[in-house]
Amino acid sequence: MPEAHVVGAGQSDFGAHPAESYRSLFLTAVEDALAGDDGDEPLSPADVDELVLGTLGVGGRQLGLSAAAAATHVGVEGPATRVENACAAGGYAVRAAVRAVRAGEADLVLAGGVEVMNDLSESLPYWLGVSGETAYERLAGTTFSGVYAQMAAAHMDAHGTTREDLSRVAVKNHRNGARNPHAHLAFECTLEEAMSGPAVAEPLGLYHCCPTTDGAAAVLVASDAAAADLDRPSVRVAGVGAGSDAVGLFDRETYTSIPASRRAAERAYEAAGVGPDDLDLAEVHDCFSIAELLAYEDLGFCEPGESGDLLASGATALEGDLPVNTSGGLKAKGHPIGATGTGQIVELYEQLLGRAGERQVEGARRGLAHNVGGSGGAVVVHVLEHEEGGAA
Amino acid sequence: MSRGSESGVRAVGAYLPRLRVAPEELASGWGEDPAGVTRAVPDADEDALTMAVAAGRQALAAADATGESVDRLVFATTTPPVEEGALTARLGAALSVPESASRSARTADAAAGVRALRDADEREGRTLVVAADCPRGAPDGEREAVAGAGGAAFLLEPRAATLRVIEAAEASPAYPGTRFRRSGDDAVDGVEITAYDRTALREAMAAAAADLDTAVDAAAVQAPGPDSPYRAAGALGVERDTVAAGTVVDGVGDAAAASVPLSLALTLARVDPLAPDGDAGEDPPETLLAAGYGGDGAALLRLERSGDLPVAVDARPSRAVDFAGYLRRRADVVSGAPEGGGAHVSVPAWRRSLPQRYRLAAGRCPDCEAVSFPPGGACDDCGAVVEYEPVDLDREGTVETAARIAQGGAPPEFREYQRRIGAEYATAVARFSAPGGGEASVPLFVVDDGRSLVDGAGKEGGENLVRIGAPVEAVFRRIYTQEGVTRYGLKLRPLDSE
Repeated sequence: MPEAHVVGAGQSDFGAHPAESYRSLFLTAVEDALAGDDGDEPLSPADVDELVLGTLGVGGRQLGLSAAAAATHVGVEGPATRVENACAAGGYAVRAAVRAVRAGEADLVLAGGVEVMNDLSESLPYWLGVSGETAYERLAGTTFSGVYAQMAAAHMDAHGTTREDLSRVAVKNHRNGARNPHAHLAFECTLEEAMSGPAVAEPLGLYHCCPTTDGAAAVLVASDAAAADLDRPSVRVAGVGAGSDAVGLFDRETYTSIPASRRAAERAYEAAGVGPDDLDLAEVHDCFSIAELLAYEDLGFCEPGESGDLLASGATALEGDLPVNTSGGLKAKGHPIGATGTGQIVELYEQLLGRAGERQVEGARRGLAHNVGGSGGAVVVHVLEHEEGGAA
Repeated sequence: MSRGSESGVRAVGAYLPRLRVAPEELASGWGEDPAGVTRAVPDADEDALTMAVAAGRQALAAADATGESVDRLVFATTTPPVEEGALTARLGAALSVPESASRSARTADAAAGVRALRDADEREGRTLVVAADCPRGAPDGEREAVAGAGGAAFLLEPRAATLRVIEAAEASPAYPGTRFRRSGDDAVDGVEITAYDRTALREAMAAAAADLDTAVDAAAVQAPGPDSPYRAAGALGVERDTVAAGTVVDGVGDAAAASVPLSLALTLARVDPLAPDGDAGEDPPETLLAAGYGGDGAALLRLERSGDLPVAVDARPSRAVDFAGYLRRRADVVSGAPEGGGAHVSVPAWRRSLPQRYRLAAGRCPDCEAVSFPPGGACDDCGAVVEYEPVDLDREGTVETAARIAQGGAPPEFREYQRRIGAEYATAVARFSAPGGGEASVPLFVVDDGRSLVDGAGKEGGENLVRIGAPVEAVFRRIYTQEGVTRYGLKLRPLDSE
C-alpha cells in the first residue's frame, strides 16, 4: 500500500486572539507548515492538491462552506472539504488527508483545523454542549464538563481514583506546556493549586478542565513520491485507526472507559504493527483530566483502574518511559476544538524530528496521537514514525 | 341542598413542596412578618402544573389505579402556568390520562378547587379532580407574606362509598375588590378595606351555609391567611375547634384554589405539613365541611366518610429556605438566560419526545429483548433496526453516575434556574428497570429541593461527590422555557434522603 508522510507541520499560537479571525489564524498555521524549518525546502499553496479542514464552527460563523472560505484565504485552489467530528475534527482531517494520499488521488494534501472560541462570552457554553447528546444529556443540565465529571465520578467509584490523581494530570501537563512557546496556558502549577481550584462540575475543578482557545494547526501529508522529491524531512504515518460510538454517555456500554478509543487504538496499533510498549511518546486527548487517565487505560498504557498509579509513578512525565502530552496537552497547550487533533500531529512531527526544543523527548522515534470527539462519540488515533528519531 | 349523585371519592392524594419559609425569615428581610405563618415555597422548577401532576400521581397510586382509567380530568388553579394554552392536555399527558378523556380547567377563583369537586361527582365515569396552586402577591405585600403552595387530588368514581359529597351549596354575592388578580399580572391584589372584606366573607359564607347542614367533625375552610378561616366560623355555624380540626394553614400558607382541597387531604391523611413524617395520630374525622371562598363568593360541600379512605401524601421532611433563597426562587432578583444559540431544541422536536420526558417511554427489541431508551433507530444492544415494543420504564431507579454542576459548568439555558436555586445542581445518569425485564439508562437533572441529593455526599472528602447506587424516583418538573413555551419533564428525586 502506498504510504503517507507528514512533510510539514505548523500552528498558530494557541490562546485568546481577539484581533484574529478563523481565517487569519489558519493562514498563520498554513504558512508555518509550508515554510518549514530552516533548511527545509519551502512549499507554496500552489503545491497543495487538496485541503481538508476540521472545525466545529463555534459561534455559528460560516458554518457552511468554511473549508472553501479558509482555502481561498490561504491560496489553495484545490477541492476543500470541511470535516466535522467535534473535538476530533482536526484528527479526522488528517485521517482524510492520509486516505486521499494512500488512495493515489493526491500527492500533497493540506489537513488542518481551526477554531475561534473567545469571540463569545456568556453564550459560549451554548456551543460547548453542541457535540454532547443534545436531546437528553444536555437537557439533564450538562455540557462536556458535566459529562466528563460523570465519567470521573464513575471511575472514582469503580477504581478508587482520587482528586489527587486528577490533579496530577494538570501539574504534569502545565509543566510541559510551560516549555511550549505556542501554549495557551504556559505556566506551571502545584498539586495544591490544582487540587484547590474552584468547582466547575464536581468532581472536576478548574484545573481539571482545559481552556477555551483560539488557534489553528496545519499539516502537509505527502505521497511516497512527493515526500521523496522534497528536500525536507518527513515522518511516516505508520498506522491510523478510528472508531465511533453513541454520542450520549448514557447510551454506552461503560462510563469508565471510552470504547471508541479502544477500537481506534486497536486498529492503529495493528496497522502500524506495534503496541503501546513500542511508543516513545503520546499526545492524548485530555480535555478534562479524567480523559487523560481514561486514555492511559484505553490505549493500553496500563490496565483498567491503574492510570492514577501510572501517572503518579512518573512514567508519563517528560522524563518518563512514555511521556504523554509533551506539548502541554489540551490542558495547557489549549483546546481550539477543530484545531486540536491536527495540533497533536504537529507536536509529534516536531518531536520525531528533534525540533521540540526544551520539551524534546530524546531519541523519540515513534509517537501516538489520540483525538476524541465529544465524550467519546468519535475517536481517531495516529501512529507516526521517523527512523532516525528526534535528537535533542 | 341534598345530592342525588352516585359518585364518591375513591382515593385522595396531595403534594407539598419541600421548601418552607418561616416567619422569622421574612421578618429578617422586611423587619416584620405580618402573617406569622410558615409557608410552602415552590422550588425553581415547580409550578401549579408540576404540583398538580405530583398530587394526581398520589391519588392514582392511593387508588392503585393508572391514569389510563380516567374518563374526566378537572384542574383547578388560580396560577396556571399559561393563561391560555395546553394546560389540561399536558396534565393529562403527564398522568397518562387518555387523550380522549374530557377535561376542564377552573382558573379564576380561589374557591375553584371546591367548585371542581362539586362538579365532578355529577358526571359518569371516573373523574380525577386536581387542585394545585402557588399564588403570589406584591413582593413586599401582605398577600405575598402568606402566599403558599401545594396540590391535592381526588379520584372520584361511581359507587365509591368511602367519601361522599352529601350536600353542596354556593353563594356568590358580588363584592368586587376583595381578592382579584388583574389580567396579565401575577400578583393577587385586594382593596384591603377590612370592614368590606369581612362583610363580604361573612355574607357569602352565611348565605351558602344556610342551605346545608354544617354540623361536622371538622371544617376545611379557605385560608387566605391564618385568621380568616376562624372569622368565617360564626357565619358557617361551626366552632373554632371544628375549623382547627380541618383547616391547615401553618406549613402551607395560602394555597388559593388548593387551600381547601389540601386541608381536606391533609386532615384525612392526618399529616402535619410542618412535620409530614410525624405520627399519623387518631382516626380522621367522619363528617367534613369544605368551605371554599374567593373573589367569586363561597362554595360549600358537606362530605361523609365511611370506612378507610386511601390517602397518599407526597410531602418530604421539610427544608427551611432563608429569605434570600426565597426571593431567588420567586425570581424577583434573577435575570434571564443570555442570548445565544447552539443545541436549541425546537418545540416540535420537544413534543416528539414527550413520551420519554413524561413517562420514560422506552422500547423493547423484538429480536434480542434488550431495552433501548429512547426507542428508535438501531437497538442499543444488538444493533438491529427494529420496531420496538413500547414499554415504560419503572419510575424508581438507581444512580449510575452523577456530577455536581457549578455555575461555570452549566449550559446557559439553565443559568436562570441555577441562579434561582442559588447553588450547584446535580445531574445524573440513572438506571431504570423495565416491567417484564431489561433496563435502560437515562440522563436526568436531580431536583434541588433545597440541596437534595448532594449535600453531605462527600464534598469535604473530595473523593466521591455523588452517591452512586442511591435509589431515586422520577418526578415531573419544569426543565426550562424557550420561545415562551415551558418544557416539562422528569427529573430525579432521591428516595432515601433525610
